[in-house]
Amino acid sequence: MSSHLKSNVIPPSRQREVPRTGMTWIGQSMKRVEDPRILSGKGGYIDDVAVPGMAHAAMVSSPHAHARIVSIDTSKAKALPGVIGVYTGEDLATVADPCPSFAAPPITQHAISVGKVRHVGEVVAAVVAEDRYIAEDAAELVEVEWEILPPNVDLEVAAAAAGDALLHPDDRDSNVALDESFSFGDVDQHFAEAHTVVKRRLRWQRSSAQAIETCGVVAQFDPFKGGYTIHSNSNFYNFIPFVIGGSLRVSPGELRIIPVLTGGSFGSKVFNHKIIILTAGLARLAGVPVKYIEDRLEHFTNSDSHGSDRLYDAELAMAEDGTFTSLRFTVMDDYGAYLQFGVGTHGNAMAQVTGPYQIQSFGMRVMAVLTNKTQQGPYRGFGSEVTNWVMERMVDAAAEELGRDPVALREQNMIQPDQFPYMIPTGNIYDSGNFQKVLEEAKTMFDFDGWRSKARAMRAKGRCVGVGLATCMERSVYGPTEWWSLNNKETPGFTLTSTPEGITVRLDPSGKMFVTLNSPMVGNSPETVVAQILAERLTIAPEDIVFNYSDSQSGFNGVGPQGSRFTAMIAGACVSASIKLEEKLKRFGAHMLQRRPEDVELRNGAVAVKGLKDQEKAFGEIALTSSFFRLSFPDGEEFDSGIETTAVYDHPLSTDPAEDRSHLGIFYPIVGHICHIVAVEVDPGTGKVEILDYTAVHDNGTMVNPRTLAGQVWGGTANGIGTTLSEVFEYDEDGQFTNPNFAEFAMPTANEMPRNFKLGHVETPSPYTEYGIKGGGEGGRLGAPSALTSAIEDALSDRGVKIASLPVTPPILRGLIRDAEQAATG
Amino acid sequence: MTGNQFTEGGTNMTKVSFKVTVNGRAREATVPPRMLLSDFIRQELSLPGTHVGCEHGVCGSCNVIVDGQAVRSCLMFAVQVEGSEITTVEGLTQGDALHPIQQAFWEEHGLQCGFCTPGMLATAQELLAQNPDPTDDEIREAISGNLCRCTGYEFIISAIRSAAVKLRETDTETTPQPV
Amino acid sequence: MKPSAFSYECPNDLQAALALLASDGDTRILAGGQSLVPMMNYRLAQPERLIDINRLSELDYIRDDGGVIAIGALARHAAIKSSDLIKEHFPIVAEAYDWIAHAAVRNRGTLCGNLCHADAASEMPAIMQILEAELVLLKVGTSRVIAAQDFFLGTYETAIAADEILTEVRIPKPAAGTGWGFEEVAMRRGDYAWCTVVATLRISDGKIAAPRIAMAGVNDCAARLRDAEAALTEQTPGASLFDAVADTVADAATPAESSAGSAAYKRDLIRALLPRVLNDAVTRAT
Ligand SMILES: Cc1cc2nc3c(=O)[nH]c(=O)nc-3n(C[C@H](O)[C@H](O)[C@H](O)COP(=O)(O)OP(=O)(O)OC[C@H]3O[C@@H](n4cnc5c(N)ncnc54)[C@H](O)[C@@H]3O)c2cc1C
Ligand code: FES
Ligand code: FES
Repeated sequence: MSSHLKSNVIPPSRQREVPRTGMTWIGQSMKRVEDPRILSGKGGYIDDVAVPGMAHAAMVSSPHAHARIVSIDTSKAKALPGVIGVYTGEDLATVADPCPSFAAPPITQHAISVGKVRHVGEVVAAVVAEDRYIAEDAAELVEVEWEILPPNVDLEVAAAAAGDALLHPDDRDSNVALDESFSFGDVDQHFAEAHTVVKRRLRWQRSSAQAIETCGVVAQFDPFKGGYTIHSNSNFYNFIPFVIGGSLRVSPGELRIIPVLTGGSFGSKVFNHKIIILTAGLARLAGVPVKYIEDRLEHFTNSDSHGSDRLYDAELAMAEDGTFTSLRFTVMDDYGAYLQFGVGTHGNAMAQVTGPYQIQSFGMRVMAVLTNKTQQGPYRGFGSEVTNWVMERMVDAAAEELGRDPVALREQNMIQPDQFPYMIPTGNIYDSGNFQKVLEEAKTMFDFDGWRSKARAMRAKGRCVGVGLATCMERSVYGPTEWWSLNNKETPGFTLTSTPEGITVRLDPSGKMFVTLNSPMVGNSPETVVAQILAERLTIAPEDIVFNYSDSQSGFNGVGPQGSRFTAMIAGACVSASIKLEEKLKRFGAHMLQRRPEDVELRNGAVAVKGLKDQEKAFGEIALTSSFFRLSFPDGEEFDSGIETTAVYDHPLSTDPAEDRSHLGIFYPIVGHICHIVAVEVDPGTGKVEILDYTAVHDNGTMVNPRTLAGQVWGGTANGIGTTLSEVFEYDEDGQFTNPNFAEFAMPTANEMPRNFKLGHVETPSPYTEYGIKGGGEGGRLGAPSALTSAIEDALSDRGVKIASLPVTPPILRGLIRDAEQAATG
Repeated sequence: MTGNQFTEGGTNMTKVSFKVTVNGRAREATVPPRMLLSDFIRQELSLPGTHVGCEHGVCGSCNVIVDGQAVRSCLMFAVQVEGSEITTVEGLTQGDALHPIQQAFWEEHGLQCGFCTPGMLATAQELLAQNPDPTDDEIREAISGNLCRCTGYEFIISAIRSAAVKLRETDTETTPQPV
Repeated sequence: MKPSAFSYECPNDLQAALALLASDGDTRILAGGQSLVPMMNYRLAQPERLIDINRLSELDYIRDDGGVIAIGALARHAAIKSSDLIKEHFPIVAEAYDWIAHAAVRNRGTLCGNLCHADAASEMPAIMQILEAELVLLKVGTSRVIAAQDFFLGTYETAIAADEILTEVRIPKPAAGTGWGFEEVAMRRGDYAWCTVVATLRISDGKIAAPRIAMAGVNDCAARLRDAEAALTEQTPGASLFDAVADTVADAATPAESSAGSAAYKRDLIRALLPRVLNDAVTRAT
């Protein structure tokens, strides 16, 4: 281990439930608990919420990328019948302060802009009216006088801009909001000693999750009961009151956030703080409950959830035999107009930046550039999807320059099964894995060698067929240091280190088990996994469990589904709750059976005497007795009525970043591994790519529900296919966002998905989480872009086409082919 | 159809009254002509199962069955359905039981967040009424006008394939009304 | 994203519709609504009055009129796509419909509405021109017939007057032995075309006869490629001829730079698609 990592000591495992085979519920593809109510149309999404007296909001959005607001005339809009109020940024500022910012030092963002606008779609005024139609009528009547400022569109130009082109002259004297350099290990020395250094400039362009449901809020303000009641489809409802209370000038306790079923997130609804502050502020100003649901255009242009938009200058150092020694890069990231989460997406990428390979050191300069675009937020992968692609691009480039087989080069450099836990140069660890097994499995399923020779033969006949393979990491169970560890050491910001997940479990006298979750359902399967885990641990039937969700006042400690954390974290909470509940059940049950607690065990939903067949008390009977027949039990508080417990689980394995940032500590240690292999055919005349065959093998540790995991892999792969082949946000030179709609921002339909998708699993359980569970919510998008890019490059290898930028839409790919053709003919 | 003058949004507009049958129930309504069918179903009829994802005709989450055909409810005005029969996802459920297509979506994990699901169900319902034994490619083509961001479509295709089997196996008498 | 207010008329017969259309005001016809309503939801279109023609059942037909197939204004894309008459006489139309929107949109959208909308990237305007369709335009008291090739004037621009309804499209049945080709590149199937090339031709004595070619998605509206047709007439089909013709068409194209790819890309698509379309047409000609 490199000496810079010596201080980063791996804590002991807190695992209580060891992985084992032959479990009753864990590992079953049980039908989802959540589905019947959703399938029957009774899910209850944000736009289904209606409260008495509710009015509707519509926004006046900026048509300009960068402009000063000279004046706003709302008089015509206010005069329209049905309009309750029209509010500008100044009006909102009377009840709300700027949005919270994780950038350190912060960058000011108002939910309704004050003074100037910084991207197309930014809100300049809001209308509250009796219905949305009228609100939109009035929004059209608001007159704004603008003074146009120079738009920042290109990230390199923006980085050098000054004067009127500065986005936030009050907060920063440059559009580069953060510029930090790191060296983890002996980077300079490794590069100095390298036999070969491969260099590439790589570009990853902007897109976003675009869940089919947009973000929305229903907010009420009651000055007498002291606070806000807010329905929101945020992922993070138990956490945000603390973050936004200040903005809304109430204590966090005066914010009651009620979750709803959420129509997809993929990161895009992680916080949603701006829309909550906006709608809540409007409700307070208008004096009526207000509903605001983004329409699709607003979701594209103002939802603050654009994905990574990066330019890398990357270098990989190697020894003569192809052994990787060091990786370094400079990365500029176009964050758009604000920096809500600092450079958390780069912090995230530090979890697995060196991929599945043994690389001794890593160095980075990261620059967060502000431009006149909608700001970034999380999108499935949270930045690691980009570094996975960069790493795999660099390995393919190395193979090419060394004249080596790309798969053999990967195998040569891979971390070996006996090296876990393996600490990478940044300080994060990989808890466990068997990358070789995943690779072998994938190659076999795909018939990799067969396909490679088939593709070669087809290329010999003039067809552009190729095969690509990627071996990538899928970190899971995030720790929050990623949000701030790359901030300047002197101004680290809010150095949060907790990501707890809690659960409340109550055994009802009816025999039902009531479970309260503290994180919402966003398309993952929280109820299903909890049902399976509790059923496993407590020997009950999953159908006897009834779910509900706390609100932010009744619940506690929920961080939500993100960072592929929920299943592993809630499993921990379930185990903690089960331990407490088991003890209570045994105490009560043993008393009813006239035995000692140590003589009884849990068996099929009953407390049963060890070794005796018919001596048992069903949980329901115990709950009933303990709830209604107090005198059947001895005095003493250990027999207080009811069988109920609340439990919380903290991150299973994390350490602090080093003070001097020589390493970043352990923060994302539960790693999965994935191998994607794909065969494609390119139509060289049109640049269209057809996927001929696709195999993905994922190792996400112990699988709770193989089918729901498969659903995540497929969905993520579909996202990755879109990211690679068709999805990109286009901005013209004026900063106009030219394709913010579903017709032109082309997300894959069923027609674009591979016909022949094979999915395999390897299970390497984690030694740190309960049952060995790892997260698996992001993997598809973490692997597909790399594999597809390689396949396309392979298909066009005879034409000398190199891919250094994503996406490769047909026009872009055809452009690369055209350039290569022209280069070949001189 | 009758009209009565009223003032809406500052313009003189005529609200329109009409009759429509929704999920087997006769309804009467008086709405401004510009009210989209999707909003009418969700707000006036309080049937929130029909979802709105884009309001420009691309995502298909607003698909409902009007007179036997799946249509985009965000691209119709409510007043246009006078005299029509509409089925929404709420009408698919048969009493306490899920419709075989819903059941198949459940068994095959054809949904994650469920937001696209009502539209997918309407599309599947139309497809299977027209083609009781579709190939996978026909299913793919049929649902290609419905965007799902969660599933990657694979399990939706399995669900519709399985629903086709269920529907073919069901006794004709208990088969739900062909749409 | 809600439409602005309008008043609504829903006449029950064509005469009533024409009469309403004759009165002044900012009026639009509402057919399938699959192009108009999205534009209204975005408030890109804000008509004061809509005349809904969906109750004019007299216009809902696909009819064999001897030498022509007549398609009424209320014939939906879906009905045309699955019509046996269409499949028999104009397989290119049935094929092209696989590329036009999706089932639920085709259930409502109409061919006539599609032609009146005249999106530059729309397929049917090109196909109707090579099939030499005629469009019947009615207004109170008079009617006129206009050739498809004269109907399309520019992006969203046609020869129809504000008080006219396109009531019928009349497509002459093709001569026996006519072959056809259709190729399209779009991001996804069902999206508007980045480039569509369509052709019909016959082969007589081994030579190309009566070639008709049109293109959409490239220039500001779909149009016949007359020069290319002339260059092919009475020529022996072959790869080098097709490539040469494609080069000429590509060089003459005037594509706008757009998010759907650069002008160079559009020219490349012409070079790629035109020879394929001609090959298919030759192969299908008997
Ligand atoms: C998701 C989606 C994808 C689509 N993809 C494609 C595609 O790939 N290719 C394609 O070509 N189209 C596509 N369309 C458009 C579709 O084909 C429309 O149906 C068509 O363009 C308009 O027909 P309509 O009947 O719906 O007309 P409407 O939307 O009702 O009307 C369109 C215009 O024509 C006028 N009009 C309509 N009928 C008449 C008439 N009889 N006489 C005079 N004026 C009339 C209207 O006033 C309006 O201005 C797509 C639409 C959607 C929603
Ligand atoms: S909401 Fe109607 S198609 Fe998207
Ligand atoms: S299940 Fe979420 S969009 Fe389809």
